[in-house]
Amino acid sequence: MTSIDIRDLRVDYGDFTAVHDLTLQVPAGEVFGIVGPNGAGKTSTFRVLASLSRPTYGEVRLAGIDAIEDKENARRLIGYMPDLAPVPRDLKCGEFLRFYARAHGLGNAKECAKRADECLEQVALTDHKNHWCHKLSRGQTQRLVLAKTMLHRPKVLILDEPASGLDPLARRDLRQTLRNLTAEGATIFISSHILTELAEMCTSLCVMSRGRLLASGTVEEVRRQLGDDSRRLTVTPLQALSAVPEWLSNLPGVAAAFIEQEQLAIDFLGDDDAQASVLEEFLRRGLRIRSFQEKRSSYEEILIDVAEKSRAQV
Amino acid sequence: MSQTTPTKIPPVCHFWEIWRNPIFLRYCRARLRPTGLGASCLITILVSGFLFQMIRTFSDNRTELDVMDIERAPLVTLLIIQAFILFVLGTAQASGGMTAERDEGVIDYQRLLPMSSVSKVIGYLFGLPIRETVMFLCTLPFTLWCFIRGQVPLGVMLSIYGVMASTTLLYHLTGLLTGTIVKNRRWAFLMTIGLIFSLYTIIPQAAKFGLVFFKYLTITPTIQDAMPDLVPKTFGAAIDVSRRLFSEARFFNLDFPEAVFTWFTQACLIITFFVMLCRRWRDADAHLSGKLWASGFFLWIQILLLGNSIPLIDSGKLFPTQQFARFSVFTRGQQWEPDRWEAMAMILAYGFLTLILLWVMSSLITPSYETVVNGWRRAHKLQKNRLPLLADESNSTPYVLVMSLIGGAGWFYFTHMIVESRWFPGHFSPISNSGWFLLAIVTCGLLHHLILELKGTRTLFMCIIFIVVVPLMLSAILFGTSDRLQPLALWVGGISPLGLPFLTAANHLSITELPLLIDRTVPSVWTFWQGVYIIVIMRLTYSLYQKRSRLKATLLSQSSAPTST
Repeated sequence: MTSIDIRDLRVDYGDFTAVHDLTLQVPAGEVFGIVGPNGAGKTSTFRVLASLSRPTYGEVRLAGIDAIEDKENARRLIGYMPDLAPVPRDLKCGEFLRFYARAHGLGNAKECAKRADECLEQVALTDHKNHWCHKLSRGQTQRLVLAKTMLHRPKVLILDEPASGLDPLARRDLRQTLRNLTAEGATIFISSHILTELAEMCTSLCVMSRGRLLASGTVEEVRRQLGDDSRRLTVTPLQALSAVPEWLSNLPGVAAAFIEQEQLAIDFLGDDDAQASVLEEFLRRGLRIRSFQEKRSSYEEILIDVAEKSRAQV
Repeated sequence: MSQTTPTKIPPVCHFWEIWRNPIFLRYCRARLRPTGLGASCLITILVSGFLFQMIRTFSDNRTELDVMDIERAPLVTLLIIQAFILFVLGTAQASGGMTAERDEGVIDYQRLLPMSSVSKVIGYLFGLPIRETVMFLCTLPFTLWCFIRGQVPLGVMLSIYGVMASTTLLYHLTGLLTGTIVKNRRWAFLMTIGLIFSLYTIIPQAAKFGLVFFKYLTITPTIQDAMPDLVPKTFGAAIDVSRRLFSEARFFNLDFPEAVFTWFTQACLIITFFVMLCRRWRDADAHLSGKLWASGFFLWIQILLLGNSIPLIDSGKLFPTQQFARFSVFTRGQQWEPDRWEAMAMILAYGFLTLILLWVMSSLITPSYETVVNGWRRAHKLQKNRLPLLADESNSTPYVLVMSLIGGAGWFYFTHMIVESRWFPGHFSPISNSGWFLLAIVTCGLLHHLILELKGTRTLFMCIIFIVVVPLMLSAILFGTSDRLQPLALWVGGISPLGLPFLTAANHLSITELPLLIDRTVPSVWTFWQGVYIIVIMRLTYSLYQKRSRLKATLLSQSSAPTST
């Protein structure tokens, strides 16, 4: 079942097009990541999804409900956590959550208080129940707003940079919380600049740049779609080679090979099968190998590459 | 794709259930904490109690006052304190609180609450100034004591508190609206305080110049009406005489009690402000007012302005000098007659007010470039070749034109009734003149609208400074420098579109009393500047038409971008 269905979404600010005819479907129960450099259109997409902005045109359906025309019903399904997660200055953490519990109609005062306590516990803020919201640290504020977002058990969670400001322990807890939420049937739409982290959290993701969708799917699919399937194989023979073996260039997938610091470096474009054949060939020819390493572009490098390309286009 | 059929989910609370409204309860929690509330209530009770007892003690020492008079004595002072708490402190809290919500960024959370926009507005309206409401309640025992022990009629008490309630609602809605529009918290606070201050100090002066409607935006007429019952009988008798002279709430041929007419007048503004706020809650980028609503509102204000002032012309009560003459020792016993200059001043005041109101309404409905472009893109996507008629992005020129015509007609009718009243025999304002009056208002209205849509708010602001305000300033300086420079002052003043109502009235009304030199110059100045502005408007209209056509052609000819998946 499709939980988030975006069709031909376009968002303009005057002559600047923030989101350009975006079409995207996210099945229910997925953690879907959205990645892109600044100005990619992530926040604009999020705000339309959360029914906070009106798009120039396009359709957004959340669990079948039109989020643009039927905002009131769509908002019952949404849990939105904005970037920088603001909190009010005049409420304490417990009061803050109880207010939203009541506003979402989660029952009487007692039931609302109970649910607020549960959420505080989930984000490990029970001790801060009676602390002023604005006196929390950045990471604690993020967790508090995450608790507020989960309060009404939304079917669709829209989290804009939820991990920013969190320490490693809190990040690990966030990952666990997201897993629990998806286990309960929620769909999570999440953005982050830290692609490695997003790759760990998400079941699928998409990459946006300058308002356009560049790639979407699983992490591997995205890598392939972005044309970043190259890898470097580094072979360290037991005895140093004086030159690159001639037979090497005839193997499928080998783009180039050279000697670098007594190691044989191979720029490889083939698939995993072809890579296995290279290793096989080395062994068949009786070449004694100390190590055989594969190095691929990191997620960070992919994102930097996308950002640089997009900057060059401007 | 499987779709969930949207089912009707019961709302969290109905809009009338204020006691269940989560936003109201949130502010009750935040603003009624014992420490803050305790201090506020303590100060309120101390001040009110002190004044209550002090005035009673002083009155007790005056032998001519009986027991009932003594109990009534502190009433007016206490009412002023209550008005200060609700009108000033409450309104400032409403506007400041609203701006703070946006400033802190939490307003988006509230937008996402599954509540209707009406419930949200009501939550803020009653929630934000909740502490001030409690402070007001703290003063209530003292006033109730005065009302009951002072034997003030129940009807008077109810009308005073009824009008106080509607005025409070109106001001708090004004505060919320200011808080919604103004981005800076300090500016929102200052603007609100300034607005209320001017409502009680500056705007009543406008009421003296024929714009009677404005006094009904305050509690003043109801208090004046009830004054004989609020003060000790000795003073009450004198006030009662003046009340009979002044107090009249007439609307064309209908007579209303002051309190009822105040509710009637304020209700229209309360509803309009409420609708504006609901629009903004539904869509943060929407115009504050729809085109039809704005035109209807403008028409309604014109009807109120005329309905209040026209019935007072025949009795002379509309003219400020009549009120002065009644109490002046110099004019007592003499036959009073209005001066021609005051008739002219009232005509100009009406014209200027109509223009300013027209400019405000025009600003509310004129779409920005961004809105129009997005509208055309949407239309293109939906394969339509025109914009929806009443949408924010559609052409607002016809509505501005209609409002200008309404304003021009209202202004001419007011002028006609004054000039052809029994006070100015031999002076006429024939219907054939109406065209010039309409032309002046249409010129100014369209000029503002065309510049705004073509060039945007920044250019409009610069135009207001350098074309509207500066020429008037220069003209005033030249006018005062020397008699010989007065014609030049007139020419310079004519640059400002705000000078057009004056030039039109001066050129077409025989009632005008101007120095000979100016009187001779007026026709040529009016002809020249009116002509110039007509040419400018034609040019701007053509440019706007071209711009719209180009935009439409460009956006409709664009092929839709390839869909990325």
